[in-house]
Amino acid sequence: MNRRVFLLGAAAAAACGKTKPRLNVYNWSDYAAPDTIPNFERESGLRVRYGTYESAPEMLAKVMTGNSGWDVVFPAAEIVPPMIEMGLLQKLDHSRLPHLNVFEGIFRNPPWDPRLEYTIPYLDGTTGILYRRGIAPEPGSWADLWDARLRGKMTMLDDPPEVFAACLKRLGDSINSGDPDQLRAAARLALAQKPLLRAYLNAEVRDQVIAGDVWAAQAWAVTAGQAIAAAPDRLAYCLPREGFARYCDTAAILRESRRAEEAHRFLDYLLRPEVGASIAQAAQTATPNAAARRLLPAKVRENPVLYPGEEALARGEWFAAQTAASQKLRDRLWTQIKSA
Amino acid sequence: MLMTLAVPSAIVCAYSLLSRGAYGGVERPWTLENFRLLADPMYLRIFFRSLWMAAAAAVLCIGLAFPLALFIARSGRRKNLYLSLVILPFWTSFLIRIYAWMFLLRDTGLINTVLRAAGLIRQPLPLLYNDGAVLLGLVYGFLPFAVLPLYATLERLDPTLLEAAADLGAKPLEALFRVTVPLCAPGIRAAAILIFVPCLGTYLASDLLGGSKTILIGNVIQNQFTAARDWPFGAALSVVLMMIALALMWAARRQGEELV
Repeated sequence: MNRRVFLLGAAAAAACGKTKPRLNVYNWSDYAAPDTIPNFERESGLRVRYGTYESAPEMLAKVMTGNSGWDVVFPAAEIVPPMIEMGLLQKLDHSRLPHLNVFEGIFRNPPWDPRLEYTIPYLDGTTGILYRRGIAPEPGSWADLWDARLRGKMTMLDDPPEVFAACLKRLGDSINSGDPDQLRAAARLALAQKPLLRAYLNAEVRDQVIAGDVWAAQAWAVTAGQAIAAAPDRLAYCLPREGFARYCDTAAILRESRRAEEAHRFLDYLLRPEVGASIAQAAQTATPNAAARRLLPAKVRENPVLYPGEEALARGEWFAAQTAASQKLRDRLWTQIKSA
Repeated sequence: MLMTLAVPSAIVCAYSLLSRGAYGGVERPWTLENFRLLADPMYLRIFFRSLWMAAAAAVLCIGLAFPLALFIARSGRRKNLYLSLVILPFWTSFLIRIYAWMFLLRDTGLINTVLRAAGLIRQPLPLLYNDGAVLLGLVYGFLPFAVLPLYATLERLDPTLLEAAADLGAKPLEALFRVTVPLCAPGIRAAAILIFVPCLGTYLASDLLGGSKTILIGNVIQNQFTAARDWPFGAALSVVLMMIALALMWAARRQGEELV
């Protein structure tokens, strides 16, 4: 680029900056359709600065400073109550969100933010077992992932809350337990399971299940859905009998934002059924937006991996934030499991 | 130097003496609690494991790199070509190269498929997700760091010294171990430090090639800043790691001075 072109570009950018107000959106990576942002920019005349993060702590660390420069973020349900408590989120003005009526059931009144005062549900999912059909035992419960017949062919998620959730459910406890005895018992179970495991893998387990290296894996519904789409007759996904973890990511406006009007406009845009549907298809996970779901192709809409039905979902439990003491104990136990 | 080295290190040291913020970050009061926790034998074991892995990686790297560096130093006009080949892997990210290794080592990966097709094995060899795979990843990743300093010293080696050794009756192998290797001590020391210190703090190889079934101290530190949200404890672990690295470098330097 020569100097003149650069100067022209800089002048154009400056001109744009003056005429177009800007909205700063900070989302998980791979969590929007390719045209979600361009379409919004075109119709609203706003310029969007779009950034992505890979983990909740990464986002939280930036936002906690109170001058992160972002307007809209996508917190996981379990960090919504602490973020409200820390005064990081702005109350939503429902009169500016005409599409808020797209939600049904639990998502109209979720435990992390009853009445949707601060957040709107964005995408959700479950954690279950992705497995190869015809193996013995055919997984139906977490306990099957302790079966020696599957030695070396099983994986668990490399994520402390998820591993604790499976162990705690197997023991009949809540996935969010902070009780030291229950947590220690769960850690003992995880230690007993470790020699049978091939590895602790997250999304990367998908290719290994498809290839046949792994026969049974604790997996997120989104990973399972992708794997099963690649080999529908060979693979299956189950939500274990003992109960399982559910997660939901939400969209919210930061209190520090001085663009409340533009941010509300963006949230309402995300709620629109056709926008929600294209996001759900791009992210390949479930949408809590009932109106958007109705627009999805029947094959996706009826996919039991993503939408297992009310009866199965009743066994699910939402992740919640841990107290400092419980978090500390969980981390020590996790290090113990990993270093054994 | 002040901005890029002293200030971040000072911040790490300060954080290690503070208390954990409920959702990441640090809070007052000042405390030594983070270092007291470190006395737990569990963390000591992880430190020893990491030291052992890093030492093994350094020894293996130097053992493999020495013949290679010797070969390059003596290959005349082709030197530059070979040197660029050594540096070539740096053109892609370490992460991507580790993924490539995963594809080679998997049960249904290239190595197992070829061995099975050749009828040499029935069951796939468990090549991935064990300590051997982690060590392989470390040696592979850090090999160029051993080749370059060894090459630099070997290249400057006076060939007349080897002629003198031969004149005095030393066989080539004897000359190698009694003349070339001792004269390369500074290069070997530089390579050892260049490999050992970064290996101590690494976490990618154990995560991806070890399948997270074993942890090194780098994984524990990373976890404190992510899932565990205990920055002060992560900082305390980093301070101890820095101390170990400094002590080793100081010892290596002293030993070097004694030899001179």
